[in-house]
Parts: sequence; structure tokens; C-alpha cells
Amino acid sequence: MKLAADRLLGIVLTGLAAFIAVQALRLNVPISYDPVGPKAFPLGLAILLAMLSLVLVFKPGEDGQWPHRALTLKILLVLGVMLIYALLFTRLGFIITTLMTVAMLARIFDASWNRALITGVVMSVGSFFLFTDALGISLPGGYWLETWF
Amino acid sequence: MFDFLIHGFGVALTPLNLGLAFLGALLGTMFGALPGIGPINGIAILMPLAYTLGLPAESALILLAAIYTGAEYGGRMSSILLNVPGDAGAVMTTLDGHPLAKKGLAGPALGLSAVSSFVGATIAILGLTLFAPLLAEVAVMFGPAEFFALMIFAFASMSVMMGKDPIKTAIGAVLGILIGTVGVDSSTGVMRYTFGMPELYDGIDFVVMIIGLFAISEILLMLEHANRQDDEDDIPPLGRVFISLKEVLACKGAMVRSGLIGFIIGILPGTGASVGGAVSYTTEKRISDKDGTFGTGDMRGLAAPEAANNASAAGSFVPMLTLGIPGSGTTAVLLGALMLYNITPGPMMFSERPEVAGGLIASLYIGNVVLLALNLPLAGVFARILTIPRWVLVPGIAILSFVGVYQLHSDLTAIFLMLIIGVFGYLLRKLGFSLAPVILGYVLGGLMEQNLRRALSASGGDIDILWRSGISIGLWIAAAALLVLPWLLPKLITKLQPSNRPMAQVEDD
Repeated sequence: MKLAADRLLGIVLTGLAAFIAVQALRLNVPISYDPVGPKAFPLGLAILLAMLSLVLVFKPGEDGQWPHRALTLKILLVLGVMLIYALLFTRLGFIITTLMTVAMLARIFDASWNRALITGVVMSVGSFFLFTDALGISLPGGYWLETWF
Repeated sequence: MFDFLIHGFGVALTPLNLGLAFLGALLGTMFGALPGIGPINGIAILMPLAYTLGLPAESALILLAAIYTGAEYGGRMSSILLNVPGDAGAVMTTLDGHPLAKKGLAGPALGLSAVSSFVGATIAILGLTLFAPLLAEVAVMFGPAEFFALMIFAFASMSVMMGKDPIKTAIGAVLGILIGTVGVDSSTGVMRYTFGMPELYDGIDFVVMIIGLFAISEILLMLEHANRQDDEDDIPPLGRVFISLKEVLACKGAMVRSGLIGFIIGILPGTGASVGGAVSYTTEKRISDKDGTFGTGDMRGLAAPEAANNASAAGSFVPMLTLGIPGSGTTAVLLGALMLYNITPGPMMFSERPEVAGGLIASLYIGNVVLLALNLPLAGVFARILTIPRWVLVPGIAILSFVGVYQLHSDLTAIFLMLIIGVFGYLLRKLGFSLAPVILGYVLGGLMEQNLRRALSASGGDIDILWRSGISIGLWIAAAALLVLPWLLPKLITKLQPSNRPMAQVEDD
């Protein structure tokens, strides 16, 4: 029996359904006049999910095109860049982090260094003023910049 | 009975709302024309910004609806010029649209698609105006039990009609509903699936959900095409953009028929622009393809799906506005947007919030005219958008996503959650899931549970209440029929007549 992607997915989802059901059963419900309560709905969904997942396990569809190694690396790289963007967003301020993120993403999508850096500068500064001045969104780290201008 | 419309035009014709309809149409067309960004992604990305403008409900909805219809217009650009459908609704547009462009008729093809989109949308908006108030009057009789049955029907219809694999569509909907159960249970105060994280007490924010699911997963998906050369110079020359009256008249039958088909298909829950386009194209081919010119650049083959996909976009507003059941993934997003304003769409909206229902419908009329006026002269400008390289597009989407989520609560947890949901959405798409059922489940799940529990507490826990009225029995039977028929029909048809016509299977938005 070949382990098709759908089969694996079905097994994972069955596990998820079991987890959801156990969590639902554990809910402590205070006395209420609601005859259904908060447990029944997730419990019913978990049963439905388990049934549908079992269909996938026994009748998997065709395997899709999965990313090869280089592409997987790129995907992880993009996620890493966005994660770092999120982590530094408030600490270093919008303009610096956005500049770096835009430049990195542009590089990953095959722009030359020059183009990537120019795009980074234009987009970070441009969008900062668009968001803060035109749309009134407060973004982190505008203070040091305002003292400059 | 058209008081709501007169009232609505009063709302929609204020300078602010008129400006928003114009802005939405412009932004929508631009986003729809961007490679890989369909209506649903466009709305997901632009919605948070619409909120920061601090608009009243009806204005925000007018803006979002204009973006939606605009994106349906924009989706055809890459279909015709590059043979790459800009969104699921424009798949059938490639069949005759791209051959026309290759013949050097790219400009007329764009012009014709703008005109047929206009005709299709107009038919559907007229239908919406006539039909929605009637349906709302019927829907007023719905109690919680009927609404619960209606949602079961909606999910059944969606599983059968939407996406390639009914099992996966159903799983997607269940996953969406489950994501919707995270947070405090409104009637008992019990925390569900929050795992002690205070950020999750209010549930997973709608904006975080749609941006993660659509925008972030789209960025990851775009990596696959990063190396594809679609940047430069392979856009065919447009030539003249205006089409002659003769060419339009040659297609009038195709437009009107397809507009009607698209409208009816748009009303059905779960069937949106792509099904509308596919059905109208095959119908039109059967009716008017006498010389076998369809597929080689026949104008009627372009007009039919274009009229139909815009008609079904407008048609999907019917169940959303009257029943609170969205007809497509994109209207599910609009429904979620309304709920953020504490408006529950449904039959009472026409009587209680006529400025929202009427304003929206009126703005569709206005937006439709604006779109035609924008798209005929500016086709060349919009076509330029196709040449935006991905290394500009992707960072742009990333910035809009981050800022859109950050401005909700100035909170980083929401951003991490958005990234997690993005990976989840990417994996689902790679596994052959369509995301529309997930978002429909997420939006409808809460209402479904509320109605179930309301019905059962009214009956004191007696489950019979769910199928006591004629309306709910009818809906249960219809739902069951939808689930059973696709299994039975092929067997019956093969028995009656052996047919080898392949069914068009496309992913819907």
C-alpha cells in the first residue's frame, strides 16, 4: 500500500478529529438552560471530519505536484524572511524592517541586487507615508524619522 | 416595493459613496488584472485598509462590492492577453479570448469582454433588484430550524458544485467551521480551543483569517512561478480598443442567454463565476457554434463566459443579502465584513437596514457603468499591469498583509497567527483543496451553531423541531437529493445514452 499524500492527510485529519473530540468532551460546562451546550457541535463536526478523512484514507485521490528540494528551500526562506519581519517589526520600526524584507523578497523572486534595494527603499518609504499620512494608520518606529525631517 | 432602491440611490449617490464606488472599481480592476490575484485575494488584501478609513457600514460595503465586481472585470485581462486565467471565473474566457488576441484582435477582444461583462452584470443586477426583496419576504418566515436546514443545504450544494473533489470540499468546510468555533462560546461563556491563550478568547480574527488564507498562501504559491518568464514583451499589441456596434450585436444573443444562466447559477449557494462561465460556454457552443469556430477566436465564445461570470458575481449577492448565505467564497468574505459591523445579513436587512441593502444594490448599478466607462478607454493602461514583475508584486502583497493585520490591534500575535494560517492555506491548496469552502465554513459555522442551539432550546431539546415545518423538510430533501444525485445520475445517463462529453471541472472562488 503506497502512502499517497491523501492517505497521510486522512490519517492526520483523523487524529485531529480525535483531538477535537477529546477536547470537546473535556469542556466544563456550568449549569445552563441551553439543552445543547458547547460540546455537541464540535463533537458532531469531529465525527463528520473523521468519517470524511477515512474516505480519503481508503480512496485517496491523485498525488499533486509537490515542490522539489530547491523550491522547498525557497518557501522556507520566504517564511523565514516574513517571520523575521514580524519579530523585528516593532523593535526596529516599519521603514527599516520593510526595506530589508522587500529587498530580500525581491531577491528571492529573482531581482538583481540593485533592483531589489531600489524597490526596498521606494516601497518602504512610499508605503510609510501612504499608510501614516493618507490612511492614518499608526506604524511602529516613526519617531526617529520624524526627528530627522 | 422599490422604496429600498430609491433610498439606496440616495445613499449611493452621495459624493463620498460615489467616489468610493469609483475607487473600488479602479482598485478592483487593477488587482484583478494582477497575475495570480483574483477577486477574493483582492478583497482580502484591501479590506483591512477599507476599515482604517473609518467608513460607515454601507460605504465600506459599497467599496468592497465595487472591488469585487471590478476584479471580475480585471480577471479577463491575462486570460485574453496571456492565456493565463487571472482568476477561476475567467478560465473559459481563455478559450476564445486568447485566439482572438493571437489574431491581432486583442483590443477588440478586451472591448467586447467589457461590453459583455456590462450586459451580463446588468441583467443580473436587474434580477437582484426584482428577486431579492421577494426572497427576503419569504425568508422572514424562517425560524432557527429553517435556517439550520438552509445551511445544511448550502453546504451540500457547495460540496457537490465547488472544487474538484467533493470529499475535500466537505473536509475544507468542516475545517473552516471548526476554526470558527475557537474562542468563547457566546451562550455559556465556556472557552473552546483557546489553549489558555488570551489572544484567542475572541476567536480567530476574520481579517487575520482571510489575509493568511489567501494573501500569504498566494505568496508561497507564486514561488513556483518565480522563474517563469512573463515579465516582458509577450503581451500582444492591443490595436483598436473600441469595438463596432455590429460586433456587439452579433453577440447579443450569447450575452443575454449567458447573463441569465450566470445569474441563476450565481444564486445557487456554492456555485460562482467559474461554474457560470463553464455552463454558459458549453450552452452557447451547442446553440450557436454552427461552423465549429468556437475555440478558434469566435467573438460569441468570448462574450458568453464574460457575460456569465459577471452575472453570477452579481447573482451571488441574492442569497447573501436575503438569507445571509453567501453564494461564493468572495461573498462569504463580504458577509464576514458585514458581520464586523454587527450587521447580520438576512431577510430583516431590507426592512431594518435599508440603507445597507439598497445602497449596495444601487451602487452595483453605478459601479457597473463606472466599470464600463473605465475599461473601454483604459484597457491599454490596465493591460500594462500584467507586466508588473513578481519581485515588485510579492513584496507589495507582503507589506499590505502585514500592515493590514498589524493595524487591527497593534499586536504581533495576530501576525504570527496570519503566517501560520498562510502555511495551512498553502498546504491545503497543494493537497488539492479549494479555499472557498474553508472561508464559507468559517463564516457560516458560527451562525449554523447558533441557529441549531436556538432551535433546540425553543423546543426544549426535542430534535424533531429541525424537520417540523414544510420549508425545512423541503430543504432537507433538497440537500439529500444534491448529495445523492451526482452518484446516481452518471449511472442513469450511461444507461440511457453513452456520452463522452467531458465535464468542465474548475476550481471556484
